[in-house]
Amino acid sequence: MRVVVIGHGMVGSRFAEDLVAREPGARVTVIGREPGGPYNRVLLSSVVAGKTDPAALAMSAVDPARATVLAGVHAIEVDRAARTVTDSRGDVHGYDRLVFATGSAARIPDIHGVATDRGLIPGVSVLKDLADAEGILARLPKARRAVVLGAGVLGLEVATGLAARGLSVTLVHHSGRVMERQLGDAAAQIATGSLARLGVRVVTGTSVAAALDRRGVLSAVRLTDGTEVLTDLLVMCAGTIPEASLARRAGLPCDRGILVDASLASPADANVFAIGDCAQPPEGGTGLVAQGWDQATRLVDAWSGASVPVAREADEDLTNVVRVKASGLDVVTMGLSGKFDHGERELRAVRLADPSIGRFVEVVVSHGLLVGATVVGDKECASQLSAMYTRMIPVPADPAHLIIRPLAGAAPAAAVAVEDMDDDATVCQCNTVSKGRITQAIAGGCASVEDVAKATRASTGCGDCRGNVARLIEAATPDKVPALAG
Amino acid sequence: MPASHGTASPGDGTPPGDAVATHCPYCALQCAQTLTRTAADAPLPVEVSGRQFPTNRGGLCQKGWTSAEVLRAKDRVTMPLIRTEDGGFREADWEEALDLIAGRLAVLQEAHGRDAVAIFGGGGLTNEKAYALGKFARVVLRTRYIDYNGRFCMSSAAAASNRSLGLDRGLGFPLADLGGADAVLVVGSNMGVTMPPFVQHLAGVRERGGLVVVDPRETVTARLTREGQGIHLSPVPGTDLVVLLALAHVVLAEGLQDAAYLDARVNGLDEVRRSVAAWWPERAEAVCGIPADDLRRTARLLAAASPSRGGRGAYVLTGRGLEQMSQGTAGVTAAINLALLLGLVGREGSGFGPVTGQGNGQGGREHGQKSDQLPGYRMITDPAARAHVAGVWGVDPDTLPGPGVPAVQLLDSLGTADGPKALLVHGSNVVVSAPHADKVRGALGRLDLLVVADLVPSETAMLADVILPVTQWAEEEGTMTNLEGRIIRRRQAADAPGEARSELWILNRLAARLGVDSGFPTEPEAVFAELARASAGGKADYSGVTYARLDRGEELFWPVRGDGPGGEHPGTPRVFLDGFPTPDGRARMIPVDHHAPADDVRAEAPLYLITGRVLQHYQSGAQTRRVAELVAAQPEPFVEMHPLLADRLGLADGDLASLTTARGRGHATVRLTEDTRPDTVFMPFHWAGEGSANRLTNDVTDPISGMPEFKVTAVRIAPARLKEGAPA
Repeated sequence: MRVVVIGHGMVGSRFAEDLVAREPGARVTVIGREPGGPYNRVLLSSVVAGKTDPAALAMSAVDPARATVLAGVHAIEVDRAARTVTDSRGDVHGYDRLVFATGSAARIPDIHGVATDRGLIPGVSVLKDLADAEGILARLPKARRAVVLGAGVLGLEVATGLAARGLSVTLVHHSGRVMERQLGDAAAQIATGSLARLGVRVVTGTSVAAALDRRGVLSAVRLTDGTEVLTDLLVMCAGTIPEASLARRAGLPCDRGILVDASLASPADANVFAIGDCAQPPEGGTGLVAQGWDQATRLVDAWSGASVPVAREADEDLTNVVRVKASGLDVVTMGLSGKFDHGERELRAVRLADPSIGRFVEVVVSHGLLVGATVVGDKECASQLSAMYTRMIPVPADPAHLIIRPLAGAAPAAAVAVEDMDDDATVCQCNTVSKGRITQAIAGGCASVEDVAKATRASTGCGDCRGNVARLIEAATPDKVPALAG
Repeated sequence: MPASHGTASPGDGTPPGDAVATHCPYCALQCAQTLTRTAADAPLPVEVSGRQFPTNRGGLCQKGWTSAEVLRAKDRVTMPLIRTEDGGFREADWEEALDLIAGRLAVLQEAHGRDAVAIFGGGGLTNEKAYALGKFARVVLRTRYIDYNGRFCMSSAAAASNRSLGLDRGLGFPLADLGGADAVLVVGSNMGVTMPPFVQHLAGVRERGGLVVVDPRETVTARLTREGQGIHLSPVPGTDLVVLLALAHVVLAEGLQDAAYLDARVNGLDEVRRSVAAWWPERAEAVCGIPADDLRRTARLLAAASPSRGGRGAYVLTGRGLEQMSQGTAGVTAAINLALLLGLVGREGSGFGPVTGQGNGQGGREHGQKSDQLPGYRMITDPAARAHVAGVWGVDPDTLPGPGVPAVQLLDSLGTADGPKALLVHGSNVVVSAPHADKVRGALGRLDLLVVADLVPSETAMLADVILPVTQWAEEEGTMTNLEGRIIRRRQAADAPGEARSELWILNRLAARLGVDSGFPTEPEAVFAELARASAGGKADYSGVTYARLDRGEELFWPVRGDGPGGEHPGTPRVFLDGFPTPDGRARMIPVDHHAPADDVRAEAPLYLITGRVLQHYQSGAQTRRVAELVAAQPEPFVEMHPLLADRLGLADGDLASLTTARGRGHATVRLTEDTRPDTVFMPFHWAGEGSANRLTNDVTDPISGMPEFKVTAVRIAPARLKEGAPA
C-alpha cells in the first residue's frame, strides 16, 4: 500500500508514525512544507511568553528508515485520476491512499497598512509557526508596548505572556466579550477582570482598522472606533483558515475545510482522507490538536482493522476541551459552554459566579453525565471536570457537588489533637494501638515513650506517633516532661 | 529511635546468648528482629522484638511484632497430605508423598515430554530455595516452564531498569541515603502502610517540604506531605505515566535538566525530548486530572533539589501503582528518564529505585525462578551464561531448557493440550494473588497433578493433589536480599512442628527419585556457596558473599565479586557511580508513550477499581489471616469509596456493595472515605471468596515484562440485593 501524507505537522507526523508502526508493509511518503521536522505548535504562545525553550518544541517523527520524509517541499498538484501528487521539485508520487494533513493558516484580517507586497510590515505578526514566534522574540528586546488582536485562546495566551514579560499590552477584540465562542457574559466578564489584574488592557467591541508605521516599521494602530494606540508589536490572533486550497483544486468537496465523512474519507473519493485542522468532519472541526490526534488514531485503527470507524455526534466528541495556557488566568471549557442551544435535550446547568475572586464555574449535565463545563479561576475544579468529561464518568446525584467538591476535598481534615481523641481512636496506626490502651499503660506506670512502646508497641513502626505518646504522658503526669530521646 | 529494641551490631552479626538475630518474614524492608527462645510450655516458641538495623532502626509494624503467631497457626500443615477419593485429604508420610509425586511426574513427562511439568515459585523464598528451585527445574525436570509470583510484583521495574540502566538492583543505594535529600518523588507506593518503618527515612525530606507522592488516593503515605511537607498529586487511575511525561516536559521546556551529566553519561536525550514535547502540562491535565500548575510546581521542586541546580539531592521511587499496568515497563522507563534528566542516577545522594514488595522479591528475581533467567541475573538465552551455569551444575549446556513463559501465560496454559499437566507451587497462593483469579482456579482444575508446598492450607493448597508441609522463617537458615540489594541472614530460632521440612530437603529427595543423586544439598550454607559460584561474573554477582562474612556483621550489597588481589571485595552499596553496565557504559533514555488502561471505564462499567494492601495483612493473607490480632484489626474485605459516589449509588457506610467487572462479580462492605477520588474505588486484595479483589482484576499483561494490569479495572457498582442475589 502506497500512502502519501501531505503535511508534516503535529497531526501528519503522528499519523505517519503510528501507521508505519502498525502497518509495516505500508510505503509512506510525507511531504512537509516547513524545513524542519514536526514541532509542538500548541506551545508557540509559551515560547513567546518565555516559558518554554524553543529547543523543547521538536516532536518525534516517523523513522526516516521506514518512510520517505520530504522537508521544505510543497505539494502542488493532486491528480486523483492518476492517483499522483506532484511536489514543488517536480517529483511525482503515486498513491493508493492520500491523506491531507495540511493544517490551517492564520487568518490575516483586512487591516489597512499591515502588509506591503513584501509581506507583513516589521512589527506586525501572526503566530502560526516557529518562524513567527522567533520573529516576535527577535523584536522583544526593543519592544515596550504590544497590541494583540483577537481575544480567543491564542490571543489571551499571547497577551498574558507579553504582559508577564513586562510589555504594556492592549487586547483588542471585535466581539463584545472575550472568547465569545466558549464563554457567556458572566464568565467572560470574570475572565476580563483577571486579564486586567495581569496587566492586560482589554478593549472589546472594536477592531484594528489600520496599522500606522514610521519608516516602514509599525508604530501605532488605529482602532475602528478611531482611537490610536501606540505600539511596537501587533500580533494578530484572529483565527485560522483550514488549508484546503490544494484539495479544492483537486476537485474535492470543501466547505470551510476539506469535507470528510465519519470515516475521515472524502465523500467524493474513497481513497482520499483528511485529518486535523484542514478537515471538516460531520461534527465540525474544533481547531484543537486533540481532535486531530484522535482522528489520526482512528484512521490508523481503521486501516489496520483494529476497529470500525463509527459516526460521531457532535456531543460525542470528547476532545473539545479548550484550555487557556496562561499563568494567572485559568480558563477551561468543554462540551457545551457559553451561549449554547439547549435544543430538545433535558439539561441541568448549575453555576457559581464569584467575581470578586475571579471565579466562575458552570456545569451542564444530561442524563447523569457531564456534557459541558466552563471554569474560570478554579484550576482544581477544572482538572477534575475535564478528567470526568473525557471519560464520561457519572456525576454525583446533585451536580452542584461538581462545583464545590474539589474545594471541600482540598481542605485537609481538621487534625484532632491527641488529648481530644476518643479512647478508641487509633494513635499508633502501624500497630493499631488505641489511645485508651496507651493511657492505661501510662496509668499502669509507663513513664516514658519507651515504656509505652514496650507495653503496647505504640510508636515502634514508623515512629510518627512518638510526639503524641509523649503528650499523653505529659498530660497524665503534668509535673514531669518525658524524655523523647531514645 | 527505641534503643530498647536494639542490639549493638548494625549488621547481621551473631548475637550472644539465646537471642537470634534475624529479619521479619514479610515484606522487602526485611526489618531486623531479635528472636528469643521461650520456655518449653510457652504458647509460642519465640518472642519477637525489633532490632537496630540501618533499614528499620529498631521499628516493626504490627505484622512483624505478631509474626511468631504464624509458627503455631492452628491449622498449620505438619504432615504431607494426599487427596482422597472423596475430595478430602489424608495424612501420609514423606516416603509415600514423595514416591507418589515423583512417580506421577515421571509418567507425565514420559507421556507428554519434559515441559509437561511446571514450577511456580515465590518472592518470599530464601535465595537458597529460589536458586534450588530454578536448578531443579532446569537440571532435574529439564522443563522450560518455571516462573513465580514476583512476576506480579517487580517484573516491570526489573525490565525497565535492565533496559535503561543495564542493571536492576531495586534501590541502587542504601535506604538511609534518602534522609539527606531535598526531594523524594514516590510514584505509586504506599510505604506508610506496606512497610511503615521505611517512613523514618523520609523525615529529612519532609522537614524540607520535598516529599512528592503520586497516588489516586490520599494514602497514609500521601498524607505525609500535608502541612507543607510536600505535594500530593492525585491522578486518575492508570495515568501516572502521564504525570511523569509532563514532569519531564516541564524540566526540558524550562531548561532545568542536568546538561553536563546528560552529555557525559546518557544516550537517547533527543528522542525523549521529542516524545515528551507532546505532553505539555495542560494536555496532561486533561488526561490525568492534575492541574497543570501543580505539575509545573512539582517539576521545579524536583529540579531545585537536583545536584546540578545546587540541591542536596533528589530521588525517584516507584511502586506497584505505576508498575502493575499493561504499560508498567513504560511507566518505570518514564520515571528513569526523569531521574536521568535531572542527573540523579549513579550519584551519591541522589538516585532512582523501585521499592521492592515481597520479602525476597529482590533475591528471588536474581537466581533462576524467572522463566528466562539463570542464577546471577543471567539470561537463559545467552550461550555464555548457559555454559557458565551448566559448568557449575556439572551438566551439558545443551541439556538446559530454553526460556519459558511469564506467570500469567503459564497459569493460562495449565492443562491445555500443549500446556503443562503438572504444577509444583512453592511459596505462592495464586488463586488469591493472581489476576482474574477464577480463571486461575479453573486452570489449576485442569491439571493432572497439583503439588503445593506451604505452611498452611492456603486457598491454593486446598486445590492440590498433594500438600507438602514446609518450614518457614524462624525455622530455617538462609539469606534474603532486601529492597536495597543488601544480602541479609535469616536464622533459625525454633524447630518446625511435626514433619515440616525445608524445600531444600524436598528437592533433594525428589531429585534422587527422579534420577539425580547429587547437586541438591540440604544445608543452606552449601546451597549458598554453590549459588555464589553460579552467580560469579553475572550481573547479580554474589561470589564474594559467605555466611561467615555476614555472620561477622559485614554489610554486603551486591555485586560482591570474588576475592581478588586486593582481598575481599567490599560489595557495592551504591551502583552506577562509575558508569552503567551497558555496552558503552552510558544509560539509555527510551521514549515511551501513554495508552489508556486495557479495561477502561465505559457506560456499563463507569468507575475505576484499584487494589492494594492494608497494614495488617500481607499479600494473599495466607499468613496474616491466621493471626488473631491482625484479623481483629482488619477482619474482612471492604471497598473504599468517596461519600459522593456512595450517595449516587445509594450506598451507606457498612452496606454490602456488589462489584462487577468483565471478569466477574464480588461483594464487599462499603467504607466511606474522602481519601479516594469520586471516580475510583479501592479494594485490598488479601482475601479469597466473595470479597476477593483479584477475581475482578484484569489479567492483560505488559508486552515487555509480563506484568498484569492489577491496578486499574473498570467496574460497575450497585447495592447488593441479598435476596435475589447480586443485581445485573
